Order: sequence, then C-alpha cells, then structure tokens
Amino acid sequence: MKNFAKHLPHYLALFGVLIIGALAFYLFSYDRSFQTAVAIAVAIAYVAWGTVHHSIHRDLHLAVFIEYLLVAALGLVIIFSLIFRT
Amino acid sequence: MMKLFGQLAHLFFPRESNNHKAKILHPSSLVILTFALIFYQVILAFLPQYGPRVLGYAANISADEVIRLTNEKRVAVGLAPLQLNPTLSQAAQAKGVDMLNKDYWAHTAPDGTQPWKFFIDFGYKYRYAGENLARDFSNASSAVDAWMASSSHKENMLSSKYKEIGIGVVEGDLAGVDTTIIVQFFGSTYADTVPISPVAKVAPKVIPSPKPIVLATPQPTAPPTPISRVLISPFNSTKGISLATVGLLLGVLVVDGVVTSRRRIVRIGGRTFAHLAFLGMILAIALILKAGQII
Repeated sequence: MKNFAKHLPHYLALFGVLIIGALAFYLFSYDRSFQTAVAIAVAIAYVAWGTVHHSIHRDLHLAVFIEYLLVAALGLVIIFSLIFRT
Repeated sequence: MMKLFGQLAHLFFPRESNNHKAKILHPSSLVILTFALIFYQVILAFLPQYGPRVLGYAANISADEVIRLTNEKRVAVGLAPLQLNPTLSQAAQAKGVDMLNKDYWAHTAPDGTQPWKFFIDFGYKYRYAGENLARDFSNASSAVDAWMASSSHKENMLSSKYKEIGIGVVEGDLAGVDTTIIVQFFGSTYADTVPISPVAKVAPKVIPSPKPIVLATPQPTAPPTPISRVLISPFNSTKGISLATVGLLLGVLVVDGVVTSRRRIVRIGGRTFAHLAFLGMILAIALILKAGQII
C-alpha cells in the first residue's frame, strides 16, 4: 500500500490505459479487428509500464520483465480466444 | 488430507515452500496456464472435424421478433416501419440454406453467387436491396443490437430507401458447429419508389447484380439436419474457463498482496496492484464480450 501511494501517478497512468482499453471493447463491440488492435496495444502498454516503472524504481530484473510479459500473454490469449469465438 | 491441503497451500498461498509467492503466480505456472488455454482452443477447433459433433449455439429466434425490433428502431428515429414481404422472406431463407449447404459465412458464396441473385430468383424486382447477416446469437434482440452497433448494418436498418423486409432464420451445421443464421433482406421495388435512375443499395463490400432478370421461382432446399443434442457452446465454455482462470488469479493475487504486505516480505517481482489492474481489465472485457457474429 505504501508503494502504491508513493507511485500514485504511475498507477493512475496505468489505470487510465486499462480503463480506456476496456471502454474501447465496450464501445466497439463486434468490431474484431479494432478489438484485436486494442488488446495488443494495451498488452504492450502494460509491459512497457512495468519496464519503465521498475526501471525508475531501480529494481528491474529479467525475472520481473518476464513476469509482466507472461501476464500480458495470458491476458492476450484469453481476449483473443473470446474475440475469435464471437 | 493434510498432504492435499499442503499442496493447495503451496499452489495458492505464499509460504516458505514456494519462496513466499503462490506457486500459481510463478512464471512456470503462468506458462502452463497460457498453454492450457491455447490447448482448449485447439480442441474446439479440431473437435468438429475429428471428434463427436457436440459443439453448438442454442438459440430461440423468431423472424417476427427480428422484424418487430427492426421496425421499433426505425420508428424511434422517425422512419416508416418496413412491411413484411413473403417473397423477400423466401429469398432470405434460401440464402440461409445456401450458406449451410455450401458451408460459407459471407455475403458472397464461394462460387461467386451474390445475395442479389436470391432476390432475382424469387422474382423480387428490386430498385434498392440490402442484406444483413448474423449468426450464433441466442435471441433476436442481441442480434438486432449488434447490427445497430455497426455503422454499415445500422445504415441498412435505418435507410429510408427500403420499404420492405424479409427474414430468413435457418438452423444447421456451419463448419462443424450447430448454429442459427439470421438473414435480413431489405428491398424496395420500382413500384415503391419514385422512378429515377436505378441504383441498388448494397450491403458492405457487395456489388449488386446490374441487370435484374426474373427467373422461375425456386423453392428453398432443405438445410442439413441440425445436430440433435448441443452439449458445448464454444463461446460460453471459453468464457467460463477464462472467467474462472482470471478470477482464480485475482483471488490469489489479493491474498498474496495482503500476506506479503503484512509479513513485510521483500522479493523481486512485478507489482501486485499492476497485475490486479491488468487482470481486472481482462475480467471486464471477458464479461463485456458476447456470443454472435455479424457481417
């Protein structure tokens, strides 16, 4: 919690990106190509956010980068599997 | 029993055995989860070809309801409601049957047959014609809402050029999956409109037949026999598994965050809040997405 309060601007930026991503899915429902592009963009932004945030915090390690990458990949697989089943 | 409890704790709770991080949050577990989800999609893709035919979308759609909802949308924007034309409905039904028989999901058939051929074959001398298609929807309302959410389909539904409507609802096997296709034909004849130079109003990316010629009225052939028992909906099962996976990870992350914060555990890893936010967005998207395709 202490860390969260300390890096509030970082988290606000991340929440902004994620909320815009979710809203885009809602507003452009049934537009597969747009949703695909949004999903990829948000996943990349998430990994980039993690890299920049940890870099500033001076605790960026390969394991941390891989963790963000894997969480993003898992999210993308879930979204893609749903988009292409609709 | 204690052994099982220990294994579950190792999987979901931060403790010494998992280096103070729930095992399911370790990179190796995330890789396994990702590949398990991909593997499920592979099963769904190959099941129609090699396994029992159990995939399908249950639907309860009536043509009358589609027309009623379409006219409701038109009246709401001040347009005249469309009149049901039985010839257009026959043509729409024939288009749906053609899609099932030739196993395609498109405005134009693989052999190049345009939607307008069905108008002409059934003797509908159109001045303007349009087509909307929908599949995999569970009810008429969600299909109409999906069309209204797409600008090109909405344009068809709310066009003042059309005076008549015909709906075909066919159920059958499309690419190994039992589904319901809705074909929505719009039209107006020369008698309906002021005679100016003929231009066919077309659905997206479809070119109308330039010279409508009335041929003998064909009867729609019977669609392939639908699968008698639908056991698994590809979309709903994927959604269920996705929600369960994300829900589980969110729960474990919350516990992990609380425990590591209270115990003041310092470790190298991603931010729990960031992972929670990202997976929260994935959960929201999974809840937003609904079954059904339109073209």
